[in-house]
Amino acid sequence: MSIKLSNSIPTDREVVLGILNNSEEALNKLYVGYYPMVLQFILNNSGDEADAKDVYQEAIIVLYDKIKSGSFELSSKLKTYLYSVSRRIWLKKLAQQSKKTNNIADFEDVLAVDEDFEIHEEKDQKFDQMKKALECLGEPCKTIIQDFYIHSLSMQDICEKFGYTNTDNAKTQKYKCLQRLKKLFFQS
Amino acid sequence: MNNDIQLESIIEDYLNGKLTPNEVAAFEQLRSNDPVVDHKVVAHKVFLESMKQYAHVLALKAQMDNAHEQIDVASISAKVKPHSSKIVRIWRNNKSAIAIAASFIIMIGAVLSSYYSKTKQEGSLQLLDRKISRLNQSQNNIIRVISNDAKKVNHAPAKFGGTGFAISSNGYILTNYHVIKDADSLYIQNNKGVSYKVKKYYTDPINDIAILKVTDLSFENLGALPYSIKKTSAGIGEAVYTLGYPKDDVVLGDGYVSSKTGINGDTLAYQIAIPVNPGNSGGPLLDNNGNIVGVINGKESKTDGAAFAVKSRYIMEALNAIPQDSLNKRVAFGKKSVLQGLKRHKQIEKIQDYVFMVKVYN
Repeated sequence: MSIKLSNSIPTDREVVLGILNNSEEALNKLYVGYYPMVLQFILNNSGDEADAKDVYQEAIIVLYDKIKSGSFELSSKLKTYLYSVSRRIWLKKLAQQSKKTNNIADFEDVLAVDEDFEIHEEKDQKFDQMKKALECLGEPCKTIIQDFYIHSLSMQDICEKFGYTNTDNAKTQKYKCLQRLKKLFFQS
Repeated sequence: MNNDIQLESIIEDYLNGKLTPNEVAAFEQLRSNDPVVDHKVVAHKVFLESMKQYAHVLALKAQMDNAHEQIDVASISAKVKPHSSKIVRIWRNNKSAIAIAASFIIMIGAVLSSYYSKTKQEGSLQLLDRKISRLNQSQNNIIRVISNDAKKVNHAPAKFGGTGFAISSNGYILTNYHVIKDADSLYIQNNKGVSYKVKKYYTDPINDIAILKVTDLSFENLGALPYSIKKTSAGIGEAVYTLGYPKDDVVLGDGYVSSKTGINGDTLAYQIAIPVNPGNSGGPLLDNNGNIVGVINGKESKTDGAAFAVKSRYIMEALNAIPQDSLNKRVAFGKKSVLQGLKRHKQIEKIQDYVFMVKVYN
């Protein structure tokens, strides 16, 4: 009763090329393809489905960034890489919850991914910092900043959306919001 | 205030590469002259990058959440969650090894067939079941003829014999396929001389593995198995030993792993330096910690002291093929062998109740 991964797993090459070309389909296939593997690992090592989703998504982001940065070599299999990164992330989480990390039940070969993991930790910390800063920012600042920087709306659009009388007012408002956000971000 | 807003928007345009070359030059001049501006540029750069990364991760997560929706999490997790049965866990733990094994089988098959056609091998493989009439063939199966050793009053003398060992406490016995392949009826006999009827349960001719099931009602549960199966492969020089029935009492064979491949570089098998004899086929090959690393299956006819054993991971493959519900809870395949740390003779004392002579009638 070994676990059969879905038949539609794309080849490693397809995934790498797909991600380099920003193909949504490649990412979706990758995601669906290897999810059971990570789910199995987490469920067998004192985690639940929600843990599996979090860990797996983080691992995919690590892989995605590594491919995008051009430093992913196809010498290791994507599957092994994803498994190893997920494993590393989960071990860290287990340690944080002061749960035992010996006696880990493994299902795949494991690579050393410490370097990538450290880079990821750093990025993850910044992500949390930004998330927290945005949450502390409050409305309407949060939405204005998100619209401008994340959803790439123009100042004109923002001006209309929030009912400012002219774009200068909107710009001033955005400037004030940005100053506060930067303060929150750099302080934390 | 207005100046600050303008400065900020210039910094942003500068960082986003939206300024004209002239503006860039002017701005860089200002930046190098004014440390405050320079600091603002650096800070804003860090901020913009963090924001970009933040947006990027959010977008990825949103996309992955979409993909996640398509997955039937409940049904997958029902399949992969920790299973109550230990043996299923072991199968799963070794599924990659099994996959590798499967690909090796195909590869080796191809390599071997081309190899055979090109080279004439000097030695040849003898399979260690005990049939004297076959001894002179190039691929001998060394099954000892025991026609003279009538054992049980109610049984006719067996024609061949081999060795087998328990893989579960409820009467599943593993041996070599070549030992039992021509059998009409099969019995196993324990070290106390008691025989039980068994039937073929599963055969794997490629890996030379067969699993027998005891059908005798008088068979008693064996209790927890003392040995476990080793997941990883054994290294060259690792001390190993085997128990087998080249005669009617159990015999110890001692030696070491001498090569990680079998005859003609066969990666399914180890070469071991243990003197083995007809009747040793199917015997367990154990390391000093009581882990099973392989199954004895043959020897080289022209080289002294070169015997072969099927690697333990192919035992896993065989186990994988048994439907799980046919094995009851008492199936014991611990990861940690209770034999670990015991002296050799103590280990054997514990193991010998689980090693059987396989008697073949045809």
